[in-house]
Amino acid sequence: MSAFLRNSTVRFLARRLAYSAIVLAGVMVVVFSLVHLVPGDPIRIALGTRYTPEAYDALLVASGLDRPLWEQFFSYIGSAVTGDLGVSFRNGSPVTVNLLDRLPATASLAVVGLIVALLISVPAGIWSALHEGRVSDAIVRVSSQFGVSVPDFWMGMLMITLFSSVLGWLPSSGYVPLTEDPLLWLRHVTLPAVTVGIVAGAIMTRYIRAAVLEVAAAGYVRTARSKGLAPAVITFRHIVRNALIPVLTIAGIQLATILGGVIVVEVVFAWPGIGRLVFDAVAARDYPLIQGAVLLIAALFLLINLIVDVLYAVVDPRIRLS
Amino acid sequence: MRRTTALIGAGTAAAILITGCSTGEGTDLGGTSGGLVAAIAGEPDQLDPHMTTSYFAFQVLENVYDTLVEPDENLEMQPALAQSWELSDDQLTWTFNLRDDVTFHDGSEFTADDVLYSYNRIIDGELSNAWRLSAIEDITAPDEHTVEITVSQPSPNLLSNLGGFKGLAIVQQANVDSGDITTKPIGTGPFALESYTSGDSITLTANEKHWAGAPQIPSVTFRFISEGSTAIAALKGGEIDWTDSIPAQQVEGLSADSEVLTLGQTPSNDYWYLTLNQNREPWNDVRVRQAIAYAIDRDAIVQATSYGTAAANQLAIPVQSVWYTEYDTYSTDLDRAQALLDEAGVGDLTLDLMVSSDYPETVTAAQIIADNLEPLGITVEIRSPDFATWLDEQNTGEFDMLMMGWLGNIDPDDFYYAQHHSGGASNAQGYANSEVDDLLDQARTETDADVRQQLYGELATIIADEASYIYLYNPSVIQAWNPDLDYEVRGDRAVRFRDVSFGE
Repeated sequence: MSAFLRNSTVRFLARRLAYSAIVLAGVMVVVFSLVHLVPGDPIRIALGTRYTPEAYDALLVASGLDRPLWEQFFSYIGSAVTGDLGVSFRNGSPVTVNLLDRLPATASLAVVGLIVALLISVPAGIWSALHEGRVSDAIVRVSSQFGVSVPDFWMGMLMITLFSSVLGWLPSSGYVPLTEDPLLWLRHVTLPAVTVGIVAGAIMTRYIRAAVLEVAAAGYVRTARSKGLAPAVITFRHIVRNALIPVLTIAGIQLATILGGVIVVEVVFAWPGIGRLVFDAVAARDYPLIQGAVLLIAALFLLINLIVDVLYAVVDPRIRLS
Repeated sequence: MRRTTALIGAGTAAAILITGCSTGEGTDLGGTSGGLVAAIAGEPDQLDPHMTTSYFAFQVLENVYDTLVEPDENLEMQPALAQSWELSDDQLTWTFNLRDDVTFHDGSEFTADDVLYSYNRIIDGELSNAWRLSAIEDITAPDEHTVEITVSQPSPNLLSNLGGFKGLAIVQQANVDSGDITTKPIGTGPFALESYTSGDSITLTANEKHWAGAPQIPSVTFRFISEGSTAIAALKGGEIDWTDSIPAQQVEGLSADSEVLTLGQTPSNDYWYLTLNQNREPWNDVRVRQAIAYAIDRDAIVQATSYGTAAANQLAIPVQSVWYTEYDTYSTDLDRAQALLDEAGVGDLTLDLMVSSDYPETVTAAQIIADNLEPLGITVEIRSPDFATWLDEQNTGEFDMLMMGWLGNIDPDDFYYAQHHSGGASNAQGYANSEVDDLLDQARTETDADVRQQLYGELATIIADEASYIYLYNPSVIQAWNPDLDYEVRGDRAVRFRDVSFGE
């Protein structure tokens, strides 16, 4: 039995890895095409007012855009695989270094944001489902709709106005690394993370509510009820435990979404993460940096999905072999 | 809505927990004791003063580097690294006497060779500021503390070209050769670079040995906050002491908050203009250009682009400048405009107006201009390419009318020569008037300030009368700071922190 389990797990993992690799290769092709699909001359556009014929030639050679297309493609793929994503048009430093510099800030924000989202959505989703059709359910549904619809920059501004300007409790902007000063890190991460968490939490609340409702209607819950088990036991042992399995998937997807989509929140809170780097790179038309960031975000998305699938398979063995 | 309240409640509880552990009042960031924290609206692309074109870089570098001479608050040139200078009788040789007590931040001595190296780097490398040194024929260093500059013709604007901004900073060769200059610049200025955290901030510490005396504050931290509302909240919350990241629409509301912040506003030396392509019909007819100058509503453009913070202007130089000339020919007058068009015998025109998406105020203004010209039977087709494309199209003359601004002007020559001399480098509109050419050449080499002022007043009036440029407005420099801070806004947008101090 255990040999079979290990064997099938390996097969499953191999299949998922191969699948991820294919997707990543596709992303690379799309990202590579980016520079060549941009209308106009990317070098000319990147230089803007700094244009001189010498600067143009220098950047053309440095970026490799003077070489044949197929050569550029293979060299890009080859370098990307070894972690070399080229150099930024803007400041001439390696894209990989730029991205890795910013990753901790974005990771902090995404992880704390996800925790906030879970703290909001798990109790709200369960409560709402267990009180289906009642006023409290309606309130949760309306406010989660509100949370989904509210633009995150507006939510961020609201947070800053209330907690920084009016109450003066938390800083409005900036980032301190966790390793440097954990308390200061927490003070800085709170407002942006709550902003991210409210939006993600509102989405997750609706999924969780649906999951709990589905489990509550399942045959084994009816059986448990007919056995005369205490309602609290039914709720927590049977309904909630089973309903939380899909939450794992949703949490994974949300974490990946947050990682790729915090641009606006990072700009509002002057957060030195990848989102803000992308924002600046787009403004400066720094194509190598945009390419690198898209590739990194895609890779993180795939990695998180892979981890979620593996965890899922561990939690619920029925899913693994399908 | 109820749950939102609950969420805010939960957030509040968490906030209390977090703040409960903190010391001090408000939101003290720590680590900047006694230092100044300034928020700028973006991150520098790099810190090499000769290479960057980013205003964010110059805001920082203003405090790291020195130039040979520098503008005071009236934008008159004063001694800096050069403590004095003499001009030969034929007006062609400038001798600068350098200070002998200046060192770079790494302790190495500043000498005449550094000046030679810096200027030659700009000239030989054909860097973007090379045109400011185009009058120079030769630079030599007779001794360690003397620099001699020979110019091809009398150049009263040489000083403002050498000291107008930090793009002409004196850099250190070793710093350039090592490549460190882009991230770890070493200057002679009042503050030295301490640390640079990508995406977040740059910290400078006071240079106690600076020739103008040690700065009053121990350090300056520049934080990058692009969102104006966040910067304002941070200023009100005491997290930062100074910012210029201010949305124009908030200015009116902020002036009421004088207890928590001081708002400073002054017209800048930048100007925004329209110009018509005189190589194309019917724009080569002066009456058609004048008609457009009469048709536009400057006040509406100022209101829409700057919420009234800019100053409408009909010549390039703003009212606070010593070079200002009074001129008010073009008030909005549609009848006059129509009469001029009738006189020129044109009607039902289509006009291609090129602005740039990189400068959103040009796009906003273009919509108003289109509206202004409609009653005259002029259909305006607005195009807004990115700035690089805009530059290309301007240079190849692919436009009927365009709008753009000139930033960072100091000497009157900066305002007029390249733009309106028939051989000017930026005369894309194709304006040619031999009288103006003569006046421009004469004013450029005139050394008597009063005569010079008169010449510029005269030529500027002709340029406006003939609508080579249709001037719109001078935007304001708007900055806000902690009321305890002793600080003044400058019209040239230089952000100089070496003389500021915290009162109390």
